[in-house]
Amino acid sequence: MNRNSTSFLKEEYEELVKNSFDWKLRILESGSTPHSVVDGKKVIMLCSNNYLNLSNHPRLIKSSIDAAKKFGAGSGSVRAIAGTMKLHMEVEKRLAKFKRTEASLIYQTGFAANAGLIPQLVTKEDIIISDELNHGSIIDGVRLTKADRAVYKHRDMGELEKILKEADKKHRRILVITDGVFSMDGDIAPMDKIVKLANEYGAMSYVDDAHGEGVIGEDGRGIGAHFKIEGKIDVEMGTFSKAYGVVGGLIAGSKDLTNFAFNKSRTWLLSGSHPPAVAGAQLAAIDVLETEPEYVKNLWDNTNYFKKELISLGFDTGESETPITPVMVGESSKAKELSNKLFTEGIFALPIVFPMVSRNKARIRTMMNAGLTRKDLDYTLDKFEKLGKQLEII
Amino acid sequence: MVSKVGFVVNPIAGMGGKVGLKGTDGVLHQAIKLGAKPFASDKAYETIKKFISSNSKKNQIKWFTSKGEMGSNILNKAGIKNFEIVYSPSNEKTSSEDTKNACKKFIEKNVDLILFCGGDGTARDIFEIVSIKIPVLGIPSGVKMHSGVFGITTIASGKMLNEFVNERLTIGDVEIMDLDEEKYRKGEWNIKLFGIARGIVEPTYIQVGKSTFESVSDNEIKDELFEHINDEIEKNNDCLFLFGSGGTIDHIARKIGIKNTLLGIDAVYNKKIIGSDLNEKGILKLLKKYPKVKLVLSPIGAQGFILGRGNLQLSSRVIKMIGLDNIIIVSTPAKLVSIPVIRVDTGDEKLDDMFAEKEFIMVVIGYRLSRVVKIQTLT
Ligand SMILES: Cc1ncc(COP(=O)(O)O)c(C=O)c1O
Repeated sequence: MNRNSTSFLKEEYEELVKNSFDWKLRILESGSTPHSVVDGKKVIMLCSNNYLNLSNHPRLIKSSIDAAKKFGAGSGSVRAIAGTMKLHMEVEKRLAKFKRTEASLIYQTGFAANAGLIPQLVTKEDIIISDELNHGSIIDGVRLTKADRAVYKHRDMGELEKILKEADKKHRRILVITDGVFSMDGDIAPMDKIVKLANEYGAMSYVDDAHGEGVIGEDGRGIGAHFKIEGKIDVEMGTFSKAYGVVGGLIAGSKDLTNFAFNKSRTWLLSGSHPPAVAGAQLAAIDVLETEPEYVKNLWDNTNYFKKELISLGFDTGESETPITPVMVGESSKAKELSNKLFTEGIFALPIVFPMVSRNKARIRTMMNAGLTRKDLDYTLDKFEKLGKQLEII
Repeated sequence: MVSKVGFVVNPIAGMGGKVGLKGTDGVLHQAIKLGAKPFASDKAYETIKKFISSNSKKNQIKWFTSKGEMGSNILNKAGIKNFEIVYSPSNEKTSSEDTKNACKKFIEKNVDLILFCGGDGTARDIFEIVSIKIPVLGIPSGVKMHSGVFGITTIASGKMLNEFVNERLTIGDVEIMDLDEEKYRKGEWNIKLFGIARGIVEPTYIQVGKSTFESVSDNEIKDELFEHINDEIEKNNDCLFLFGSGGTIDHIARKIGIKNTLLGIDAVYNKKIIGSDLNEKGILKLLKKYPKVKLVLSPIGAQGFILGRGNLQLSSRVIKMIGLDNIIIVSTPAKLVSIPVIRVDTGDEKLDDMFAEKEFIMVVIGYRLSRVVKIQTLT
């Protein structure tokens, strides 16, 4: 057939541009630091997930360089064949100890963990029960299964229980899956209640704690520690790409879980393992969390101060309980305008608009960093106050 | 882009209700005698005002309307200039014929949307003329408003109009419901489903990138619902399926390849119709013959009834024989946005209580995808 096989690439891209749905990439000319240089402009960084500023920590950098010098730039293979280095095993051992679980397993990314593991846990006769605001990587993992799916209202345990009751009658396995810290609102899933309900109905519990790892719980051990239920969540999934300051997905749980997971997850089996430099940095990140508690403390001091001051200025910060603090604006266009004006003032914070959140709930999402000083925060608050008044938000 | 909107007001809508009558049709005299005053034009004005204040770009609508209290007075009062009068009622006392005539003109003018102010009766008059040719949006002002065409409030209708002209809403099915007058005259109060019109609805969004979303049309979602039900039929090939009424189920049935009754109950076995537009007796007969049965329903009208509005054939006897666990409810997510609860009114207190005890019911909203929705009974 005579067809233009690639014309859609341009057409669909142009359609995105027309509707302003395309990503306009901002280029960092510095490292991801509390004060970054973005598109040539020095800004206070409020959109990075580098919560603890560990990506710039000397111990992580040194450990990364040392590992590269000793073991080379790449790992040579997928983990299953010849790409499992002693270093990878070491990270898994140290991580399990830190998270107080029996075992852990490292994936290339958090996305690869969700997309690889979820489809192995359930199949046709089973059901996945999901919080309505779960992250896209969970949704993609779920899409790869043949299981039934049911959605409950955000953090609504009443609805979850109703679905569990129904599911209990009809399905073989039940998997309850939720974000730990929700990345749009900064609120926390009631994991203690979820685990309790799951146990009651013979369901598995699975939490994506990407934004909780290194942030909540004692010394940043994550959501298990936050609710003091370490080892009781069937699958604790997380990432090294956020507070840990490196890259890489992780799961923590029983030895049975990790044995099952690495033998079955296609993303793990069919994709190259982390370079030594990555594993080296991961190890040092765990070291830092274990021995330098001031990073987590600073993050929370900053968070609490910033949130308190925003609220006293009259801003609505929603349900946030974490360093992700949304500043509610209302209309999408206003949120975009505020974000632009903040950037001009040297503050980088992204607007979150419809349809990511409902029409009247557009917001600026701020993510706190342990490396920001009180002076930085006061400067930021001052600009929020000025622009908030100008745009009649407060 | 400039949208063309036909605007018509039923000036007497709702007057009966103010004085305790169940409508205004045919009882206007009585209503006025009881002290009722017209207020529909005030309601319409609230909507138009809200539209103007929320719409940042001006002149996005070219209006077509009828003269006087049926339209132009209200537009004038709101300061709108860009309108054309396409119909003038001959008598100051307007009637349903005037609404219908205005709609005929709107069709000639090829409008994109008809914005009307009234109640279920007005919606029905309009539907009789425009059918599914033009989408409709109602400003609530009647006594009865069971139809799915209305905004929840006059303000909501104004916002919806703004979203529509800015192409942020999509076209979907909405039910036209009204009192069954024949039954009413015999002393029965029965809301009947008259037809499925086109209305404007919130699209369903599917996340495609981290923060890019694709809006999915009503029909694509209904295709998924078809696949779900199709699987159910194939999985339960010894099971009788009863299909309820409405646009969603009609879409599913057509995809399966059967000729369904839009506003009635049909019986399907092995993907073949074995009973069309069944009454209670017909259904009971089939239930005796087929021990295994599933009933597929979709919420109807603005209040989200699955039983008790527009499908009295599904009597409490029928439902008890089928069993609550054998009811499959399907709905587009868009519809669930406008009806946060599923309502049941079987006329049988005991049966209603059985639903009420469940508190929640599972609703299928996509292929093998469901969510729980609260159940509400009248008691
Ligand atoms: C909740 C959540 N889960 C998973 C991921 C993916 O993690 P990674 O960056 O390691 O692929 C992210 C990151 O965006 C996330 O926010």
